Amino acid sequence: MIEITINGTPIEVEKGTVLLHAAKENGVEIPTLCNHEGLNREGNCRLCSVEITENGRSKIVASCMFPVTRSISVETDNERVKRARRTVLQLLINRNPKSPVIQQLCSEYGVKREERFALEPDLCIRCGRCVRACETNGTKAIELVGRGFDRHVATPYETESDACIGCLSCATVCPTGKITYDESPGKRKIWHKEFDVLKCARCGIYFATKEMLDWAGRPENDRAYCDHCQKYIESVKFLTEHEQNK
Amino acid sequence: MGEIDRIAEIMHSYKQDPRYLLALLLDIQESENHISTEAMRAVARYLGVSESRVYAVATFYRTLSLKKKGRKIIRVCMGTACHLRGSAAVLHELEKGLGIKVGEATEDGKYTLETVNCVGACALAPVVTCGDDSFGRMDPAKAAELITRGAFE
Repeated sequence: MIEITINGTPIEVEKGTVLLHAAKENGVEIPTLCNHEGLNREGNCRLCSVEITENGRSKIVASCMFPVTRSISVETDNERVKRARRTVLQLLINRNPKSPVIQQLCSEYGVKREERFALEPDLCIRCGRCVRACETNGTKAIELVGRGFDRHVATPYETESDACIGCLSCATVCPTGKITYDESPGKRKIWHKEFDVLKCARCGIYFATKEMLDWAGRPENDRAYCDHCQKYIESVKFLTEHEQNK
Repeated sequence: MGEIDRIAEIMHSYKQDPRYLLALLLDIQESENHISTEAMRAVARYLGVSESRVYAVATFYRTLSLKKKGRKIIRVCMGTACHLRGSAAVLHELEKGLGIKVGEATEDGKYTLETVNCVGACALAPVVTCGDDSFGRMDPAKAAELITRGAFE
């Protein structure tokens, strides 16, 4: 265990714990947009910047990319940290004036959009969460493509991709709501591709695309029920057998 | 030998390891003057990387081009000095004269028009280059004349 201080309060953390998570576990909230507990860390948004001091020297680091290995003192909300975050938010709001998450953060930090930067408004902040989600699934259907102003998230060749299974992981983890999809009973459209969504034979909800079940390796003859009903049916079956064996 | 065979030959000169992705794409660019969708698909399969990764790399580097490039590349410098001396107007004139937008190739496959961030000849601003030739102190009229007298041939 390593002893560190966060905002003056001494705490003990396990060696290698990421600073962002260590702070959260101890009740100190640090804002972040690109970090997601189920995904690899990339440190793209820089919003979780904090100030660390070690041997009398201090510097700003992205707390999501900083594993605690030595005894340090951390400030998560002093003026220097706020200034760093304001810069990040200023850049975000200039290009992304319409996202409620960013609007909320900007009002907390007192940041206003600078109209002189007349960039095409875009909800995407290039944090790469969706790309990492798709990668974590193993489907790897989307990537950040292009560079500079042209950088954006896309499927290969900007067209429908065999790799996409229509699972909506990308849309689910997107912090700003950039990734949208069309959903109507039995149909789903995302990333230029149309999917049939299977209906549960018991409860009637539309629960998964055929491609998702293929990817999960669920046998063709075992696709009638959603997870919830499948569990229900299994448990009923188990209980009846149990009764009979009594 | 068709495109597919040439690409197959290039691929087989590398081991099937994801780290050769960029090297392979560079070789294909040099051989084919562009990287086709088929080429990217083949490379992804060969190296065992996702198509999305190949596409990301192919779109990231300026050396790599998804559209077929012309045999000669006309570059208009967009550096600070050239910009101040009106390179935008020169570029516009060349677009008009060649009948293409920047980044495109002429239909006969002769020329591709590109911009470049600085060619390092700021004293000659604005500068247009084509292969090893460079043309300094350009203006829209001179740029139009370059095309009519076949200076890029």
